[in-house]
Amino acid sequence: MSIFRLGEQAPPPPRPIADGVVERFEHVYEVDPERMRVFPQQDMPAWDTHRIVDARWDHLDWMHDHFADEILSAGLESETMPAEAMPSEERANE
Amino acid sequence: MSVALKSAVDDGVVDELRAILGDDDRVLPGVSARVNRTRVPAPFPVHRWAEFMPDVAVLPRTAQEVSEVVKLANRLRIPVVPRAGGTGLADGAVPLRGGILVDVKLMNQIHEIDLEDRTVTVGPGINMLKLNEALRPHRVFYPDCPASYPCSLVGGRIGTGGWSLLGGRYGHTRDLVVSMEVVLPTGEIIEVGDGGGRKLRHSSTAFNLKQLFTGHQGTLGICTEATLELVPRAEAEFAAFFAFDDYLTAHRTTGALTRSGLATIAGVVLFDEYKLAYLRRDDEAWIPQPEWVKAVVAVALYGAKAEVEPAAKLIMELGRADGGKYVGDEISQGDWAARHDRYATPLHGRRPDGQAVPMSWHCEDAALNYSVLPRVREEWHAIVQRYIERYGIFDDWGMFCYTSGAHKPWGDYLVEIDVGIWEQKMNDEHWAAWVSCKREIAEVSLKYGGSITCCHGATREGDAELVPTEMGASWEVVKRIKRALDPNNVMNPGKQSLDEAYSE
Repeated sequence: MSIFRLGEQAPPPPRPIADGVVERFEHVYEVDPERMRVFPQQDMPAWDTHRIVDARWDHLDWMHDHFADEILSAGLESETMPAEAMPSEERANE
Repeated sequence: MSVALKSAVDDGVVDELRAILGDDDRVLPGVSARVNRTRVPAPFPVHRWAEFMPDVAVLPRTAQEVSEVVKLANRLRIPVVPRAGGTGLADGAVPLRGGILVDVKLMNQIHEIDLEDRTVTVGPGINMLKLNEALRPHRVFYPDCPASYPCSLVGGRIGTGGWSLLGGRYGHTRDLVVSMEVVLPTGEIIEVGDGGGRKLRHSSTAFNLKQLFTGHQGTLGICTEATLELVPRAEAEFAAFFAFDDYLTAHRTTGALTRSGLATIAGVVLFDEYKLAYLRRDDEAWIPQPEWVKAVVAVALYGAKAEVEPAAKLIMELGRADGGKYVGDEISQGDWAARHDRYATPLHGRRPDGQAVPMSWHCEDAALNYSVLPRVREEWHAIVQRYIERYGIFDDWGMFCYTSGAHKPWGDYLVEIDVGIWEQKMNDEHWAAWVSCKREIAEVSLKYGGSITCCHGATREGDAELVPTEMGASWEVVKRIKRALDPNNVMNPGKQSLDEAYSE
């Protein structure tokens, strides 16, 4: 049996990754709280962030399935970014 | 000439509407029903919200009911405004003079799926996503794919002459409607198509009235049934995004891709440096991209796998032939699948001091030729920058240019500059400033031989007053048509400067 403990759902502290952008979970980006003094960011438990990210991947999968039978790929690595910097469903939940 | 200029809806009119519909629940004079049918998603003069409310909303189920409602409005000179999903970006469904709002959402049936002659006949209240879910078992598809795909309705797409993200491959709304049933402003019910046949794509009989009743912004009638094109469900989809270090190289590559002759191209999109700067703030795909990425070109293909697979190889060659760098499969596929996000994402922008605040998204659109895109881009951004610096409630979210010709994507583009507006700060001064900004942007489009709107409609202040200028000598013909079909100016009055038809 799992017991929900709110304290365990506190997100990790943010780390800056770009001008005006912070990251708490890998490849989940947020506006730098310093830029949210007029409209402060709401507190979100970790599970809610993961729920939103999972729903996002579900939506993209649904879009592909809705419009065509098969999604073809170029099969090439990114020529602008290293592979480890690319967003992916697995890394978003790490 | 007597024309409807201000609403005259009273209890007697409401009683007549109830008698027509025979159902009190489908006649809605209450405040909440009217408030919910006032605005559209575009930034709005929210401080004057009440001025745009209808006096009563009705929910008809049949063309006969629509006809009787319109006859009543015409007899009493009451404005009547058709509304489908209410997702338009230029106030086409916003009542400017109160009156009766005809909400077609209950007319959402699929009347016939004809797999032999490849048509589907529907009511105007059906949504494309839901329609395609019903069509999927038959391996056919209705390929009208606006950014509002999950929430807009067929009737609104016809009324506004909608533009599709897959239009290069399959055509836009005006290409996909085979025929339709329309209630005229005087209440008559007519069938319009190419000639007289309900399922014919081409005829040489009389005039082609179908195009007249597509894209009139609810000013010439109300569509009550539509027979639509069915295309084979796509076996394959392919999307590729290419990054560039300068706009002009990306512009050249866009042209090369569109001239490739590949029939499976659904669209080619050119994003500029301002759009990239906007995406770098919040979009997980673009935040980590290196600083040298200043422009992006995106391509999407649909069709049979036997066609898409070899075409994709050529796209990869053309996209990288002039210095373009492929951004990778994940971002290409994911960003293309995110093309409807504009209607699902809570929006925020930046004040000049960098603080994030909630903003609404205004897309100022135009139809422009390929050759003028770089010059228009510079002038549009300069205009918006002046307003940002002076008023502090606007934010430049960048531009994109999207191939616009149905089946011939090489010559002209839907061009949009996206502007964030802090609506909570809206007042008369700010609204007037915004209208002035819009007008300046539209005037640039005319200067370069373009049209002030490609798909949103010239129904807002800032655009509407330029319609006669853009139409030139043909404006007289437009006014005569409007006056002939709507002698009392009851059908969505106040839009597109059409009141001029009644001032002589």
